[in-house]
Amino acid sequence: MEQSSAREEILQKLKQAPAEPVGPRPVLPPLAELSMTQEELVKRFTERLVEETGVVYRVKSYEEAIEKLTEIAQAENLKKVMVSTDEVIGQLNLPAWGTKQGIKIMTPLDFVDRDSYKDAVFLEADAGITGADFAVAESGTLGIRHRKDQARLISLAPILHIAVVPIERLVPTYEKAIDQVFANKNSLPSQFVFITGPSMTGDIQGVLFKGMHGPRKLMVILIG
Amino acid sequence: MEPRTEKFKELVARELHNPLSQKFLKVMPPIQNMKRSIGLSTFPDIEAAQAYGAAIRQEAIARLPELLEHFEKNALANGAQVFWARDAQEANEYILKLAKERGVKYVTKGKSMVTEETGLNEVLSQNGIEPWETDLGEFIAQQLNLPPFHIVGPAINVPVEEVRDIFMAKANLKEPTLDPVELGYAARLFLRDKFHHVQMGITGVNMAVAETGTIINVENEGNIRYTKASPRTQVSVMSIEKVVPTMKDALHLIRLLCRNCTGQKLSAYVSMDSGPKKKDEIDGPEELFIVIVDNGRTKIYQDLKARQVLRCIRCAACLNICPVYGQIGGYAYGWAYSGPMGQVLNPLLLGLEKTQDLYRATTLCAACKSVCPAGIDHPSLFLYYRHKDVTVDPYFGGKARPAQEIRFFKAWAWAIKRPWLWNLGIKMARPFINKNAREGIIRQIKGSFADWFRQRDLPAMAENTFHERWKNLKKEA
Amino acid sequence: MNKVSLFIPCTVDLFLPHIGEATVRLLRSLGVSVFYHEEQTCCGQPAMNAGYQKEAQKAAQHFLEVFGEDEIIVSPSGSCVCMVKYHYPELFENDPEWRRRAEEVASRIYEFSQFLVDVLHVEDVGASFSGKVAYHESCHILRGLKVSVQPKKLIQAVKGVELVPLNAADTCCGFGGEFAYHYADISESMVKNKVENYLASGADLLLLGEPGCLLNIGGYLSRNHPQKKIMHLASFLADYRREKA
Repeated sequence: MEQSSAREEILQKLKQAPAEPVGPRPVLPPLAELSMTQEELVKRFTERLVEETGVVYRVKSYEEAIEKLTEIAQAENLKKVMVSTDEVIGQLNLPAWGTKQGIKIMTPLDFVDRDSYKDAVFLEADAGITGADFAVAESGTLGIRHRKDQARLISLAPILHIAVVPIERLVPTYEKAIDQVFANKNSLPSQFVFITGPSMTGDIQGVLFKGMHGPRKLMVILIG
Repeated sequence: MEPRTEKFKELVARELHNPLSQKFLKVMPPIQNMKRSIGLSTFPDIEAAQAYGAAIRQEAIARLPELLEHFEKNALANGAQVFWARDAQEANEYILKLAKERGVKYVTKGKSMVTEETGLNEVLSQNGIEPWETDLGEFIAQQLNLPPFHIVGPAINVPVEEVRDIFMAKANLKEPTLDPVELGYAARLFLRDKFHHVQMGITGVNMAVAETGTIINVENEGNIRYTKASPRTQVSVMSIEKVVPTMKDALHLIRLLCRNCTGQKLSAYVSMDSGPKKKDEIDGPEELFIVIVDNGRTKIYQDLKARQVLRCIRCAACLNICPVYGQIGGYAYGWAYSGPMGQVLNPLLLGLEKTQDLYRATTLCAACKSVCPAGIDHPSLFLYYRHKDVTVDPYFGGKARPAQEIRFFKAWAWAIKRPWLWNLGIKMARPFINKNAREGIIRQIKGSFADWFRQRDLPAMAENTFHERWKNLKKEA
Repeated sequence: MNKVSLFIPCTVDLFLPHIGEATVRLLRSLGVSVFYHEEQTCCGQPAMNAGYQKEAQKAAQHFLEVFGEDEIIVSPSGSCVCMVKYHYPELFENDPEWRRRAEEVASRIYEFSQFLVDVLHVEDVGASFSGKVAYHESCHILRGLKVSVQPKKLIQAVKGVELVPLNAADTCCGFGGEFAYHYADISESMVKNKVENYLASGADLLLLGEPGCLLNIGGYLSRNHPQKKIMHLASFLADYRREKA
């Protein structure tokens, strides 16, 4: 068959080429974050994300997180939001909050199909609220496993993304997150993303600005 | 993209006098270099971090067939489909077939240099399928029908007036503006609609991880994430050398890529796909097609010295540091790849005959080599290709040197072992070289050296060479 | 250590012999006995750069025959030293005997400032100069040989001198041998930048260690800014040595 012959041809050519020994890896000193305390990690995470114009709020409990969300909703004049159905967002009981605040809370489960969900998340949602699986201190980065309860477009299409993260999920470096996410080859997430700050570009005359295609604002509420 | 690598000198002359290009080149590369230094300083040991990256890429290339098979096995186990394309035509035809089968009218494209190489966009449009570049720089370059000025910022030099005009004509810009931010937001609105309704998206691949069968993309804008979230079909195109052994290796390379490219610790988004979406997910692709493209690379791989160019991670650090790129910009190199990485890659993909100037228009200053996180030795490759011309190497498509030059070096080699002849030659050359000398300065010599004298003098050849002066110096002791 | 073999590049031999003379006089003033093999011709760099490796091998073989017995070889040039140190062993990749000879000689060859500071352990050669100087970091000396601290130490030890910063000091001046006349317009643009930075530095004198750069930058200065001075480091140190009483 045409296809297997292309594959065979390419691999054959590569295999018959002269062999090259694999060189040794140089010694790599560990990153500073690996020896930080949790408070230092929080500080590092916050500094790095704020450098990218992210906003970081630290609250003590889920109740305080709801209070913070209320503040944000008022400041940003949120009318309709799309939210994930992950375990962290679940704990916040956003539908109840939405009713109280007069904010329409939508989740992907409300929609019968991809197209109607897309219409909502592209055209209606003022914000996307999601949990995150990790907060990585070394660059102020969120790590998110996409799955049924963590749809992709929620943290991408609306102009504001709010992420709620329990502080236990704070890790020093990407490896600490990746080790967990990719531990079992048989249960890999269809997509795993690292998000560092809002969307940005410098493609016109090198002028940097936020909010190119993805969110223009990113807010993180750390609980703990 | 049609190569114009044979027009190098002409394009250089034009670009050196292009005030817009020159204005950009005075400002941007120095800023990028500064950002790069600052970004790299977050490594405890910068040299070790760069050397480690080079070691990863060396291993990836050394183990290429094995890693590709491993990657494919794991990608298939994840539910992806894998297609191998020997050349541009096979890759383009396959992707076109996928689009036609699915009745797709347009695709959104994340930045993919290998598809620029294969000319995929032209094939799609000729067949009634509109390819929308969605990376802002690529979008602008596409609308203006311009080649890339820089591999990372392809339209970064384009003046805002031109961007405004093209956006008003083609991107629904209603109110004219010269504000890059407003222009960017206009593009956002225009392309948002495409992302919303797209049925098939095409991306490149920054890294393909053999260990897990995962493809990784690095971006700042979000257009790649859209292309991987919104449509039902995702096609990701990778050239064979993109594979890396492990996730840990990929992470280190991503740290290096972002710092070397823009000075960022991490780009805004890094997305890692291990197969299509799961059945119960509402967004993400139902089908993920990974296209593995050869297009001349297995041929490069046969040569142990040339194959190091396959280590390149497309960070563009070499462009930003190169003093030649800094004078002429990306257009002069005549193809998808510019700067030093283009100077080592284009000759291998297009053949030496078509790219004669690319590996000669360098002072061998080695700034590129000194910043490369993949450990590529560009200067030694430039010398290698020149040697392949001298030997008229058929494998590389070497082009014979001018007869006069060949004769010159034969005579030179003959004299070099015969000091009496060497020094006699110098004595005899002196009156010719000094013909136009006045007061110890030569302001003009006709012939192959003539261009030196447009802006520069040369000291006259000394009446007594050092060799002749040694007799006295010996006595002085 | 107090006997060195002098390797004089063609550029110096033909166009800048005073640099060779300065090198000899300076080394002698430091108690070093200098000899010069009269059979030396050229290191072969022009052929190597043009892709003529067979011809470059001939030059290399001659060089290795001439310099093969020397304990220390010193040259007032970085690119020629790089040619011997790095390209000679490569040229004889497939010839174990010549490769061995090349590696031996490669281990014994030094650029001028590298020899003074790293081998002779001298920084103060007894020179004085009142004024501001700037230093251009030639590509082969800086990136090829990793020599940068040494020339600056030598300069700063000169009594009365002020070494001022030079913007983009480590950016290539645009010489590159053949490049300078084959791609003259790019080369001119590069040397123009270099000279603009020199002028902006406020220095009275530009110093460097590479004869090729000297011809290039010096050539542009001669045509466009004839009053601005440029010198090879060896000439500078030799000429401004305070005379012994």
